[in-house]
Amino acid sequence: MAASSAEDGMLGNRSLDRFDVCVIGSGAGGGAAAYALTAGGKNVLVLECGHNPWPGLDGPNLPLPRHSNDELKYALREYIEPLSRLEPRTFRQRASDTAAIHDDVNLLPRAVGGSFQHADCKVPRYNAFDFELKSRLEALLGATPGLAIPGFGSDAASANFADWPFSYADLEPHYAEMELLHGVQGADDNPFASWRSSPFPMPPGVAMYFALVIAEGARQASLQGRLLTPHTYPGAHNTKFYDERPPCVDCGWCSGFGCPNNSKGSPAVTTLRKALLSGRCQLRYNAKAVRLLNDGGHVSAVEYVDGAGVNRIATADAFVLAASPIESARLCLMSPTPSGETLGDSSGQVGRNLMFHLQTNVSGFLPQRVHGQRGRAVTHGLTDFRGLEPGGDVPRIFDVNGAPGVRLGGIVEFSASQGLPITDDGGVAAFQLPGKSGARFGTKLKNALRDGALTQHLVSVLMQAEDAPQLTNRVDLDPSVRDVFGLPVARVTYASHPFELGVRNFYIPYQRQILELAGATRIFTVPCDTLLGDPPTSHHEMGTLRMGPDAATSVTNPEGRFHDVDNLYACDGSVFPTASGYNPTCTVIAVALKIAHGMAPSPLPVA
Amino acid sequence: MRKLLPLKLSPELRAQVEARLDARLPSGADEAPSGVVAPEPALHRLLAHARDAARLSRRQFLGAAAAVAALAVATHARVAGAAFWPRTRFFTDVELATLEALCDRIIPPDHDPGARELGAPAYIERLLTSFDRGGAGLYLRGPYSGRLPFSDPWLGAPSARYPQNGFVLSMRPSRLQELYWRAELYGSAAAGLPAELETPQGGPLVGLREIYRQGLADVDTVSVSTTGLPFRQLGTAQQDAVLKKLDSPGVLSRDVRRGGTFVDRVIQHTLEGCFSAPEYGGNRRARGWRMIGLEGDSQPLGYSMFSLRDDRYHERPDQPMSTPNPDEIDANGNLAPKPLTPDGDAIQQAIFSFASIFEDIVEGSCA
Repeated sequence: MAASSAEDGMLGNRSLDRFDVCVIGSGAGGGAAAYALTAGGKNVLVLECGHNPWPGLDGPNLPLPRHSNDELKYALREYIEPLSRLEPRTFRQRASDTAAIHDDVNLLPRAVGGSFQHADCKVPRYNAFDFELKSRLEALLGATPGLAIPGFGSDAASANFADWPFSYADLEPHYAEMELLHGVQGADDNPFASWRSSPFPMPPGVAMYFALVIAEGARQASLQGRLLTPHTYPGAHNTKFYDERPPCVDCGWCSGFGCPNNSKGSPAVTTLRKALLSGRCQLRYNAKAVRLLNDGGHVSAVEYVDGAGVNRIATADAFVLAASPIESARLCLMSPTPSGETLGDSSGQVGRNLMFHLQTNVSGFLPQRVHGQRGRAVTHGLTDFRGLEPGGDVPRIFDVNGAPGVRLGGIVEFSASQGLPITDDGGVAAFQLPGKSGARFGTKLKNALRDGALTQHLVSVLMQAEDAPQLTNRVDLDPSVRDVFGLPVARVTYASHPFELGVRNFYIPYQRQILELAGATRIFTVPCDTLLGDPPTSHHEMGTLRMGPDAATSVTNPEGRFHDVDNLYACDGSVFPTASGYNPTCTVIAVALKIAHGMAPSPLPVA
Repeated sequence: MRKLLPLKLSPELRAQVEARLDARLPSGADEAPSGVVAPEPALHRLLAHARDAARLSRRQFLGAAAAVAALAVATHARVAGAAFWPRTRFFTDVELATLEALCDRIIPPDHDPGARELGAPAYIERLLTSFDRGGAGLYLRGPYSGRLPFSDPWLGAPSARYPQNGFVLSMRPSRLQELYWRAELYGSAAAGLPAELETPQGGPLVGLREIYRQGLADVDTVSVSTTGLPFRQLGTAQQDAVLKKLDSPGVLSRDVRRGGTFVDRVIQHTLEGCFSAPEYGGNRRARGWRMIGLEGDSQPLGYSMFSLRDDRYHERPDQPMSTPNPDEIDANGNLAPKPLTPDGDAIQQAIFSFASIFEDIVEGSCA
């Protein structure tokens, strides 16, 4: 089939033909890498497997994108989502199970600018504690009689925890750099946030009504004798004219949709655009990387399929994987060495330690209409359930049935239905509710829609809890299923660990209490995906190419380079040794900036 | 909870906004097709915007001017085919009559329009004939529909300037998107998808065009065998009874790839045809949205309007963001929620009960 785009599938400097670095993926990590590498004087080729919603992104004026407030386009017709019928994934819980094709094994969008463009851009930082979680918890176990933590001490073999190879203090300048580049709004109102060297670039925007209602409930709730402390949620949406982009208008089409007016600080309009304007970057989209050509210790080229379906080769001196943890690992697995081994896998850990976060969602109905269609999806949350003392540096010891206990959960988002009639009210009433309890058609269905029974009344308290890294949670290649390119698809094996399941059960009553105090009724816990045998749908992906100092127990080194391959790097969530309990994108970008600045030093931007 | 912000629209401005809202809603498929939407004089609007922007700092001005320049380019872009929309035929008259009757039993007319009046059948026919237009209407381009105005960046209030309707602009699908949609509409064999892709997913995908052809014939077969008359000729009570029968297990064949039967397809597409953007061919005059109290697309105005003069955001009193809806606040300023209908209440209760069931199935799944 001929290329259906009239454009040439390219952005940036079309005349470049020799590249210092080839970055595979143009999302949060790849955009940050392209920005920092071009700022450091490198010529960079970016390959993006998705299409381009920003024609003219490399022009002097930032163009409006092909994004719009359109439920059909995103939620049903998958404008920027991967089309899973063409590129399926398979899932199983244990290696002894047979993996089956599943619609959504944590699929992430495929388009220039990556997944961040369809997120609502919540960007909290990790805590200082998170970077040395393993050694700190081991010390705590030794100092606290009666304390037991799943995955630690005598149970250590059931998980694969590791410290990060650098500290929060090492990463902090890049957190600040991330917030400047992407334009982050926020306030210093979270007592559990770790220290910061500079204020948020912009103040918080307008609060959403339901978030204020839930926050009021939370303020009256307490966790083992301490009142909860709701706070504003840091987000990459402008609240001023900032960096050639307008203020967010809180259109309501944020989570799951692309931003029509570029106020959302997603990679395409921030890091990627700066790279494209440098003159040292060429981006090829609809370009699906399929193989790294290598001699086992060095990558010479990447083979990709272009927008017309033609296989092509791109060469560079160095290569950066930033295709998301599942796809970055899959590319290594599809790139055998001359002796038939998986590239970069002398540790045997490529694809392992896959982490998704364990989301625990407690929902209920408020009697008044909460109009969740107005605003940027999440404006408030709380961090008390991360389970740390204020300051974010020391685990809190809880009383668990008379014994000391550590309960490292995660940040909590206050959310509501976004007012999507086809997928929420209509879809739930007609298709998801079983038998007679639903409303397949007729006046019942119409009344449910007019009431906005779900879309105007459902509110949620959602926790992003840390999940334990496990060698058995992994991505490998499915032995029988192939995608539309004829390539073996990613097979995901994932089951939850008692580390996070215990945390889930511990915090659920407190999540319920918040909603009760906020005035909600019919409160229920959304069934846990993994306990029902399904893949998690967090759309947070971490691990698979773990970084660490020891080549025997990690894939990439503290500089992000593969231990085994002298010119191959990873710049996405794949390098994370642990997941923490926060939306990962802020840290993905900060880590990618740190790695890329290490490859090509340049001064950091200043506020 | 915060009080309503003091910003008020003047009655004149409110009337103007409402009039513009009405005027900018597209008409339906069989109402006076307007051919190509004439581009607004982009330069005029550019200058108007620039005048406002001149009061801003130079940096802010450059940002605003860039945004407007980009928009000006968009307004000159080619408009895809004819807008609102001459019918591209797929259904025979009999099939269309059957489909119209079916849609109207899914979202029936009462004091609000039913699915037929909202244009759901036209939406479905437009979907099935997407490649008669090269697939250009599968994804509306945007970014704005022109139903709401820009806000005035100085005042932080709605301005009188409206963007061009970019939802009618053409956007060709990428190669993979085109492949996906050809398989969806014509079947995976016709789209040329390899068997090694299709077999593990349950075999070849049957195209929606064939599914509608066959499904509408099946509806009449079942209707005639039960009542002696084709579906379109029945009264609504009889149609409801036949639809219930069609929806019972074993009556219509199951779609192994998509799950469900033809009834599931028609319900899904009827919902889409009633509540998706009018430029897809349904939701005429956005009355589907209005019926359920939504504005649909809200850009570029949105629900918070930043004022450079005040250096802060203002909200819309009619569509507040941080406070309850005005019609749920009583004269004393207290919250006064409107009750749900018994049907809406039953759906909430069903969701609650449904979720709670899982605890019985898998212990600990809901704690």
